[in-house]
Amino acid sequence: MTETVAPSRTAMIEMIKVCKKFPPNVVALDDISVSIASGEIFFLIGRSGAGKTTLLKLLCNMERPSNGLIEVAGMNIHQVTGNKLAKLRQKVGVAYQDFRLLTDRTVAENIAISMEVSYKKPQIIRNRVRSLLAQLQLEDKHDILTGDLSRGEQQRVALARAVANSPALILVDEPTGNLDATSTEQVMELLIRCSNSGATIVIATHDEALYRHSTHRIMKLHNGKLASLTRGDGQERLKSMEAMNGGSSDGI
Amino acid sequence: MNFWFSIFRQTGRNLRQTWTTQFMTCLTVSLSVLIFSFFYLIYLNMLSAGDKVTDDLRLVVYLDEEPGPEMQKQLRLKISQFDQVQEIKFISREEAYARFAEQLGDNRDVLTDMPTDFLPASIEVIPLKTLRSLNQIKLFSEYLATLPGSQKVQYGQKWVERFYYFTQLLSIIVLLSGILLILTATFMVASTIRLTIFGRQEELELLKLVGATNNYIRTPFLLEGILQGLIGSLLGLTSLYILFQWTARHFSGAGFLDLFTFTFFPPGIIATVILLSIVLCTVGSYTSMQKFLRI
Repeated sequence: MTETVAPSRTAMIEMIKVCKKFPPNVVALDDISVSIASGEIFFLIGRSGAGKTTLLKLLCNMERPSNGLIEVAGMNIHQVTGNKLAKLRQKVGVAYQDFRLLTDRTVAENIAISMEVSYKKPQIIRNRVRSLLAQLQLEDKHDILTGDLSRGEQQRVALARAVANSPALILVDEPTGNLDATSTEQVMELLIRCSNSGATIVIATHDEALYRHSTHRIMKLHNGKLASLTRGDGQERLKSMEAMNGGSSDGI
Repeated sequence: MNFWFSIFRQTGRNLRQTWTTQFMTCLTVSLSVLIFSFFYLIYLNMLSAGDKVTDDLRLVVYLDEEPGPEMQKQLRLKISQFDQVQEIKFISREEAYARFAEQLGDNRDVLTDMPTDFLPASIEVIPLKTLRSLNQIKLFSEYLATLPGSQKVQYGQKWVERFYYFTQLLSIIVLLSGILLILTATFMVASTIRLTIFGRQEELELLKLVGATNNYIRTPFLLEGILQGLIGSLLGLTSLYILFQWTARHFSGAGFLDLFTFTFFPPGIIATVILLSIVLCTVGSYTSMQKFLRI
């Protein structure tokens, strides 16, 4: 099922006919066109190897598309270089699937990195790190080396680093892969809080529980092709609950 | 937090993490500076000693006969034809005898039975200070030997030649050790920075991904180069100064070494050596970054 669901606000991400091929002849993404609005939460789903991570890598300029155009915040990110690219990257927070943590540094140092590069004041950095650790229930891990953490804890630290600099765009790759239900809830709460502050969030996930009952757009990839672009059934569920309750509901 | 605060923090963190490699590099730089400065210091002191020797340089032309006033005039003219000289002095047989007696001091009794004209008359030629090279002195002495009535020309040939060749040898050593300093310092710093870059590749890539500018990533490495140059050269020069003091205390005021007044480098040369080390280390660091920093 392919349904066109248009974004309602100005576009943060604009992808037009994007293709990505890896040598010798592996097509990772083929003819992907999508527009993601500012402040939107956007789910990217599909089986392993469908092209989700490649798409995120294209969005954060870790890879270049073989064809097509990608604009982030109105800029063709693959034509931006030098300090302009650095400034753009400061506005994009990425939580990688493999975390990319510096295992010989403490949790606090890892989270602080994204703020240090934009020259935030040490006091602001300290406060922000403590606040994020509290939101993710990692307060006691402040001075622990990330190499000594469990996978689930490392995943949450990676997410904290991605959101620490209050970026305008947050790209998250499998944010709940190693988390229990409570931690998953904490992570989603944090992401929703970021979205409420105006950040656009793109989440690549396998976890159906994350998006099934949401009201956000969901793009399904299959073998690098756009298989469907739908909206979660949260709205319908809300309506049916309202109908059952005689017209009033507190929402989901 | 401003740019420089972040840079100093990054540099400090890196120095803490890789202090053993940094220390070895500093040691190598300081040894290179020490080797070079050691020979350069000797060379400078030899040059100043050479100046002293050539200040006292005089060519003595021994004559067959004592020249009369007319002959003296002609000889003066002939000598001046070769080159301008500082002074020409005619020494009569009697004057030569008186000088010799004075040199003998208490032993002048040995001259009692000798005639006062047994020593030959001579001309003492003091060349201008511009006449410094061994070749020029040789040519001048050969010319003086062709003067009418000239018997022999003396100017301490062997001593001047030996001294001249020694300073030549020293200048080659200084040149070689200078090249050695340049190569060692540059390569050592370049390889240290390269090792650091390889060890921190993951971190540097992450920094790039979270939006660090090229300057934010590169400047700490340049600072490391500057620090290695500064600390290495200071260590090398301090060691040389200690060695110099020790030598001055133990060998001054006796025999051969009394000829020289040992002096340490003037502030200008010290500053140049430090500056040169800093520049070389920074160049080493920069070339490594350009080659190996995949950012």
